[in-house]
Amino acid sequence: MKQEIHFVTGKGGVGKSVIAAAMALKKSREGKKVLLVELGDISFFKDFFDLPSVGYQPTRIKDNLSVALWDGEAALKEYARHFIKVEAIVKLFFENAVMKALVNVAPGLSELAIVGKVTSGPRKHGPPLPFDCIVVDGFATGHFIALLEAPRGMAQAVQFGPMGEQSRSIDACLRNTDLCHYHVVTLPEELPVKEASELIHRLKAEFSVSAEILMNKIIQTKLTSADLKDAKAENSDLGKFAEYLDYQLTRQSEMLERTKQATEKVQHLPLLYETYAWTLTEKIAEALK
Amino acid sequence: MSSAIFQETKILVCVGSGGVGKTTVAASLAVLAAKEGKKVLVLTIDPAKRLAQTLGIEGTKDVTRVPGQDFKGELYASVIDHKKTFDDFVARAAKKSEAVEKIYKNKLYQQLSTSLSGSQEFTALEKLYSIYESQAFDLIILDTPPTKHALDFLQAPQKLSALFTEGVAKWFRDPAGKKTSFLGKMLHTGTKQVLKALEVLTGSNFIHELGDFFINIEQWQEQLLKRTTEVHRMLTAPSTRFCLVTSFDQAKLKEAEFFSHQIRLGGHNLTTVVLNRVFPYWLDLSAEAAAEKAHSELVNLYSQMRNYYNQKDQLYKKFEATMKKDARIFRIPDLVKDISDLSGLEEVSALIVEGEKKA
Repeated sequence: MKQEIHFVTGKGGVGKSVIAAAMALKKSREGKKVLLVELGDISFFKDFFDLPSVGYQPTRIKDNLSVALWDGEAALKEYARHFIKVEAIVKLFFENAVMKALVNVAPGLSELAIVGKVTSGPRKHGPPLPFDCIVVDGFATGHFIALLEAPRGMAQAVQFGPMGEQSRSIDACLRNTDLCHYHVVTLPEELPVKEASELIHRLKAEFSVSAEILMNKIIQTKLTSADLKDAKAENSDLGKFAEYLDYQLTRQSEMLERTKQATEKVQHLPLLYETYAWTLTEKIAEALK
Repeated sequence: MSSAIFQETKILVCVGSGGVGKTTVAASLAVLAAKEGKKVLVLTIDPAKRLAQTLGIEGTKDVTRVPGQDFKGELYASVIDHKKTFDDFVARAAKKSEAVEKIYKNKLYQQLSTSLSGSQEFTALEKLYSIYESQAFDLIILDTPPTKHALDFLQAPQKLSALFTEGVAKWFRDPAGKKTSFLGKMLHTGTKQVLKALEVLTGSNFIHELGDFFINIEQWQEQLLKRTTEVHRMLTAPSTRFCLVTSFDQAKLKEAEFFSHQIRLGGHNLTTVVLNRVFPYWLDLSAEAAAEKAHSELVNLYSQMRNYYNQKDQLYKKFEATMKKDARIFRIPDLVKDISDLSGLEEVSALIVEGEKKA
């Protein structure tokens, strides 16, 4: 079974979680068995989709679609359980205060455990993960790079033994463009576009992968500056709106130009006036290529 | 006249998840304080290029007097240099210089000191503390690192120091407990098993690197614990206030409620909640525009957005109602345009004053 892995990242606040959910929904509707993964210890999707709970073990939320929340400690625990087998030692290991502190702080360990888990399917290492497609709602840009760099950093620091071996295998998997796909979400605004472009370059330079940009919240209209000229002159709410729209549209096309310089792979997603979570997710899923 | 936000405040910490506009809010609050006559410093993490230019801190990490100001007080700004702050701390904490060199060379340290596991939070607090200690400013406003959650910031120092209180280095120096007493040996039996398990999972090479790392940093222990205590005292002092910046959808608001609860549980003073960029500046929900003459598509877009924000308004009202008893809550509309000079920051600070009045 060939498993696809999709990483969705971008600056904070650009809407990457909703887009990750939409991508997962779209894949599930294509008949794939999909796992939507969020990282960390507090679930966004629980509140967003109003689910009873989201935890480490996948929870089914729709046909072919499950969601899970993975953090470093839980991933490490599961991994340890799989390989140590003796429950008493696993317990001793994780109830040990030093180990707990270590897992929290030891440089890169938590990140390594997470990417190890995400890539465990194709690497056939660790507990089985019976899904055709994993969509990871990744960390925001900076932390995301740290997540991807952890295996290589660890492989350099630890050359021998299982840790070094696993780190190299995870790193290779992350670079395998048949398996792993990277999606950088951005908004038509200066800072998110700058972050997205820099990330695209780094992914290319450090991992030789070419990521796609998903430009979110594009105002879709045929209105031009000329159309807005008269309305702008009015001193009313609508007049102010016309001014706002004119500014937004100009900036939008400027930002679209700028993203084209970073990569040819750019998808546009419309700004949607929708507050209900599932409807919003469905609409974005429909807009995704 | 002084804003209620700054009353009896020496440190104002702006927390919130990524992308909510913390940096802009922090800088605008600093402008407001300077206008009110305070000598104020805003410590930022990673400002946008134009904001950095505006503050005169582009390309420098030094504390800089913001150029082109004409306030009653004085406005200073600085960007935190994580690597340097961390290295400086290590140099001060370690007693011997060869030990400093050794730790700089350790591969795990190199990762720790740059981007991983709470190090940015640690350096932000380290920098804040050293400036606070110098008493050079009436008020320091701290913009916090872009964590996924506001809580990561507050938990980082405890996480780091937990490692030292448990004496992890002792393990690696003497895992078999050879040189210790009988009781020590008994205690170490558990340790041995745990280390053995770790070795099964990771290999002896990793254990060796890790051991080297911990033994090298063991000498910081005293300094680090001292600092953690001092920083904790600073963060729970009555004159240190927290400002939670949040925005957007329902999930973000629920998250904000949770944070504010946790911040208070930690013994901190959360006094202000800012809903940032909630509504675009053009929107006056109380007045609908008469728009017979305008372009039909424009009117169409306008009413779509209006409806959308009207729905959102309901969510915000609920949020305000639940939070109101504990903190001052106000909204700042989305100015949309990027801030490119001091007058832009003044514009936001005027909106803050306005929002505060309404709250």
